[in-house]
Formats: sequence, structure tokens, C-alpha cells
Amino acid sequence: MRLKLQMKQGSLLGLLGVGLLCTSPSLGFAQNAELEQIRRQLTELRNDYESRIRALEDQLRAAEDLAKSSQQAASEAAAAAERLESAVTQVQNTAAAAQRPASQTALNPAISVILNGTWGLYESDPTTQITGFLGSGASEILPRGPSLGESELFLSASVDPYFRGSLMASLTPDNEVEVEEAFFETLSLGGGFTLKGGRFLSGIGYWNAQHPHTWDFAEASLVQRAFLGNNYGDDGLQLRWVAPLPFFLQLGTEVGRGRDFAGMGEIERNNNGANSWALFAKVGGDIGTSYSWQLGASHLRQKTESGVVPLFDYDDLSGLQNRFAGRQRIWGADLVIKWAPDGNPLYQNFRFATEYHRRKVDGQFTFDTTGLNQTDAAKAAQSGWYVQGVYQFHPYWRAGLRYDRLSSGTVDLGANAAYLSVPDFDATRLTFMADYNPSEFSRIRAEISEGRTRQVPATGETVSDTIAFVQYIFSLGAHGAHQF
Amino acid sequence: MKAILRCAVFVWLAATSSAHAAINVFACEQEWGSLVKEVAGARADVYVATTAAQDIHKIQARPSLIARARLADLAVCTGADLEIGWMPLVLTQSGNAKIQLGTRGFLEVSNYVPLIEVPTVIDRAMGDVHPRGNPHIQWGPRQIQLAANEIAKRLAEIDAAGSAEYQRRLADFTARWTAATARWSQLAAPLKGVSVIQHHVNYSYLIAFLGMRLAGTLEPKPGVEPTASRLNDLIQQQASNPAKLIVRSSYHSSAPSEWLAERANIPAVMLPATVGGTAVAGDIFGMYDDAIRRMLSAIGS
Repeated sequence: MRLKLQMKQGSLLGLLGVGLLCTSPSLGFAQNAELEQIRRQLTELRNDYESRIRALEDQLRAAEDLAKSSQQAASEAAAAAERLESAVTQVQNTAAAAQRPASQTALNPAISVILNGTWGLYESDPTTQITGFLGSGASEILPRGPSLGESELFLSASVDPYFRGSLMASLTPDNEVEVEEAFFETLSLGGGFTLKGGRFLSGIGYWNAQHPHTWDFAEASLVQRAFLGNNYGDDGLQLRWVAPLPFFLQLGTEVGRGRDFAGMGEIERNNNGANSWALFAKVGGDIGTSYSWQLGASHLRQKTESGVVPLFDYDDLSGLQNRFAGRQRIWGADLVIKWAPDGNPLYQNFRFATEYHRRKVDGQFTFDTTGLNQTDAAKAAQSGWYVQGVYQFHPYWRAGLRYDRLSSGTVDLGANAAYLSVPDFDATRLTFMADYNPSEFSRIRAEISEGRTRQVPATGETVSDTIAFVQYIFSLGAHGAHQF
Repeated sequence: MKAILRCAVFVWLAATSSAHAAINVFACEQEWGSLVKEVAGARADVYVATTAAQDIHKIQARPSLIARARLADLAVCTGADLEIGWMPLVLTQSGNAKIQLGTRGFLEVSNYVPLIEVPTVIDRAMGDVHPRGNPHIQWGPRQIQLAANEIAKRLAEIDAAGSAEYQRRLADFTARWTAATARWSQLAAPLKGVSVIQHHVNYSYLIAFLGMRLAGTLEPKPGVEPTASRLNDLIQQQASNPAKLIVRSSYHSSAPSEWLAERANIPAVMLPATVGGTAVAGDIFGMYDDAIRRMLSAIGS
């Protein structure tokens, strides 16, 4: 700018000079004095212009300085505005948070619904009976043909800063509503303690506390079906403690009504005390970044006390009604190992799980309650286990294999042994499944199993059952929990 | 009995020896772990629950996470539903009253920073949408500064004795962060206006900060893996709205972005998902440095 002005100054003077030369009448007639005057006038003019130009330059410099300082002021203002904006965001966020309780719907519990259904194909007439297992018919199996599964409704929210409440209701395909779980849990006991109360699934075993829609296979394992009735739950209290250690160590105990005689069916209770106790311990951790594991041990003990368990005939052929009064104890151990490359399960992961349970039953067994009605001491020690692996080999696809085995063990029915044969029989089953998961919220599964779980009493011949399922599981609403 | 006693003593020693720092912090993600270290220095023992190789959405409530949450005085997470699948379960399982939802010991950073890409319509038909907005806030420099401010505040509340140190360290961090932010703006000048396709919406904040243009995502919907038809659509889109660059995070498969890069004849580049995503991305500063340099070298400037 200044350079331009200087050039202008030069050209102005030049022009002025040329103009003066042209306007002078003749250089020849010019006197010395006249020349001197003209020179003086020129110098005056130059001085005048130069001072004016200097004044202009000064004005310009001042203007530039002003512009510079206002630019600085502008950038300062911008920074202030940014600070203000972030403050406003904070206020807005806090305001939004503060507004939430004002709205009625915002306090609604998290709601989710599980829709599921199956198409079951059974080679022979479906039966829940497993040869050699008292009361194995108490648990439910998936129906033959197309059928709606249990639609599950989950509601959960904080009660206040101290408790959290959850309800899991199941709408059965027979149009009934069942309360599967309804419990409170403490949030502020601290010290690693949590107290749970109400109706809940027991913490024993690995799969037991998990609802069927999260299982890796459409059907429960045989040991889970025979000993725990698929999912063993009770009305009572559970106290858990997590140790303050760099690895996971959890101890838990439960006391309950004993609503279910695990694996054998419901009991009507009429006593003040508890009828069921459980203990469980879990340890776990990571190995490197790709592996994680959990090892569990559990014990459940129950007594019939004021009630008796109605039992179907255990070989499912005579149709006799029997019953049992006494106690049962179940010991269990479980191990889960998971693998995902670098701990990222997005593209590939593998879950290995195995569980073992041993059951001891002793008490009074009554044979044929509507006929002979003979009661005598009875004792049984039985066990079962499974081992399974599920591999997710693609973001959408998983495949899994499971092997089940149950051992009828020793069964001593005393005097009733004369009427009931006690088969020494090991039930086995092999299951293969593949499922397609277009998103975290939907799953479509195909499963086929070959089970050898029944024996013809007369001939001792093992019956082989091939069963296939197609199943869908959809989850709506609140995001489900990623359990280990 | 003696053996049990000996075991108990061992457990007690193991438990107490790990608590040498003034405050135990459970950070859900690497960026918050790095930020807590910046603000707290040696006063905090920081455990970070996840790595840059993991998709945070897919984490499970593993036993190790529950054990570490049990020990924490402060938990720092992103919030905005990023950890919805596992953190609520970790919290209730931990039995730790100090870091339950609604306590001062549980900090969800997203409550203190502006979020972008807030959906106006929320339906799962749109994929795994986050109703509160894009939760990948670690790529917004302003978000990081606001997070550091809140972290310092919470640390001082829980560990009052360290209050002065937290203030001093925060001021120091702020000065360095402001300088770094200015440096990145300058360094990334060639990226201004560059059209970019990202795998998932991981880098929306960075794209906005650097003045780049978002031309689309490889995922047809958030959380849904890229499909062949989606990739073909993106090739078609190149004619009308040409992108110059494809970015994916360190936990994503390289296959979809490389496939598209080859056919669209534009570079594909892996960026750290967070701190630790690459060798250079050792802390919150390094992660920005590396991401910007990788993009610059990909577009050849």
C-alpha cells in the first residue's frame, strides 16, 4: 500500500514538472530571477505535497494499527465465544439432565421384549423322560411343529439410589403369564456386597442364571434339564461378595422357599422356614488379551419338609404316579473359556463351556400312589455333564457342537425295587447348531441333535431320537446385557 | 486351618499391595485412561478396560472387568450408550457403591461435551443408533479439553488432598493441548475440504475438526458390517460425489476398505481407534499426531 503511494507520489511530481514546462511561454526568454522563482515555487509545491503525503501515510499507518488491534480483539472474542459455547453446552447438558426427571416417560423402566418361536421336527413322539432319572419330566421341552416360544418381557430400573428393581415375565404360548424373575438388588451396600431378594434364577452353574434366549443351543443341556429343570429359580434372598483382588473372585449364598424341587417339579410349601440353600463361588480373569476364563463351583441343598414331590413314573411307560419326600443335594462345577483375537469378538470368537453336576437324593419313595401306595426308603446318586464349543467365524454366523452325557448312577429303591426296575443307563446326545445373526438383536438358528436318552424296559434296547429345530429370537427395546 | 489362614493372609497382602496410589481409576476406554494419567500423574492407578483393537460396542462383562471395577474409586466412561451392553452389568456385579450410576464416582464424559450426529428419528431399523449422538468423542479436541476439565474436577472431589496437583497438571495439559490443537490445524491444512469415506462413524469428530467432508460410511447402517451392495453403491457414488480417501479404525477388518480402494482407485488408510491403536499413538497427543500424519501421507502431501 505504502509502496503504491510512493509510486504515485513520484508520478505526480513528474506530471507536475511536465505541465510546468509546457505552460511556460519560452525558456529562451526566461530570466534568471523568474527561473529562481519557478524553482522556489516547485520546491514549495514538492514540500507541500511531501508533507501532505507524509500526513496521509501517518493516517494510513494509524488505520493499519487499528485494524491489527481489532483483528486481535476479534480473535480474542472468538476464543471467548468458544469458551462461552462450551459453557453453554455444559449448561444445556445439565439442563437436559435436570429436565429428565420432570418428564413422566423418562422415568419409565428400561423395557425389552424377546420374541421367539420354533418349528420342531421329532423323529418319534416327543417325551421329556430320560431313562433312569426321577422326575426328569418336570421340565419343559420345545413342542413339535411350528410353535410360538415364551415371549419374554423385561422391565428394569433404579428404585432409588439404594436399590434396583427388575421384572422378567414370560407370556407362554398357552396364553398364561409367568413371573420368571422379580427381584430387587442393592446398589449401595459397598464393600463388594450385593443383596438380591425376590424371585430370581440361582447363581449355581454357568447357564442356569441365563435366560433361554441367550443360550447357545435351542434346547438346554441334558444335565440342566434333568437336575435343574432348565433354569432353577427360587423365591428368597441371595448375597454376593466380590473380593478386592486384581482377579475375579465371587462368593455367593442363597436361601429360599424351595418352590421347585430342582429338576423334579413344584412343591406346595406350608412352613415358616427355608427349604433350599445354595452356595457358589466363581473365579476368573484374562490370559493375555485374547483369552478369558471363569471357573465355578456350586452346591444346592433342598428338603421337601412339609411337602412331597409328585413324580411321573420314571420309565414313562407304565403311567404310574409316584411321589418322593426327603432331600436332595447337588454339587456342580463349571468352566468357561472364551477366545477372541486381541479380545475383539467382532469378526471371530470362540466359547468353550463345560459343566458337571452330581446329585444325591435320599428320602421316602412312594410307589403307585393311587393303587399299591407302598412307601420305603430310597437313595440315588447320579451325575451328568456336557461339553460344548461355539465358533463365530463371520460377523453374522456361528456354529456350535455339544455333547451331553447323563449317568443314572446308583438308585436304591428298597422294597419298591420289586416293582420298578432300576436300569443302569447312560443317556447321551450330540447336538449341532448354526445360527445367523444379522444384528445383535436378531438370531435365526437351525439345530439338529441325535439323542440316545431312552431305553425300552422290556428289551433293554436304546431308542435313538433325531430332533431338529428352526428357531428365531428377536429382541426389541432396551439393549440387552452382554453376559460373560 | 493353617493353610486357610495362610491363604487369607496372602489374599489380604495381594489386595492391599495393589492400592499404593491415592486413587484407583477404572477407565472404560484408552483415551480416558490417557487423559486421567495426564491430569492425575502418579496419584492415580489407572486400569483401562478395553484396547484399540476392540470394538467397544461388543465388549462383554468379563470377570476381569468386574474385579477391576470392584477396586475403583472413580470410573471414567464415554457414556451416550457406547458401553450400554456391558458397563451396567459390570457396575451391578462389582458391588462397588462408589461407582454406581448417579454417583460422583461414575463419570460419563459425554454428559459434559457437545455431541454431533444426534439422530432426530430413533428406530432400530436405522441400525445400532445411539439416541444421544455419536459417542466417538475422543476425536474432538474440544471434547477432550472439556473431558479433562471434568476429570480434574472429579479427581479433586474424590481425592481432595491432590486437588492442587490436579489443578496444576490440568493447567499444564490445557496449555499443551491448546498448542497441539493449533499445530494440528496447521499441519492438516492440506486435508481441508478433502472428501472422506469412513468404515464406521468413528472419525466424525476428527473430520469436522479438520474441515474435511464426509462422503459416507462403509457400513450400510451403524453397527451393520459392510455388504457387497453397499460397497457397490459407494462406487456409483464416486461419479457424483467423489471421495479422495477411505479411513477405517484399528479394530476393523481391512477387507471392505481395501476392496473399495482398489476399485475406486483411492487410498485406504487405517487410523488408530484410540490410544494404542498404532505404535506411534502412545498417548492422547500421539493418537492425533498419528491419525493426521497417516491421512496426509495417504493423500500424498
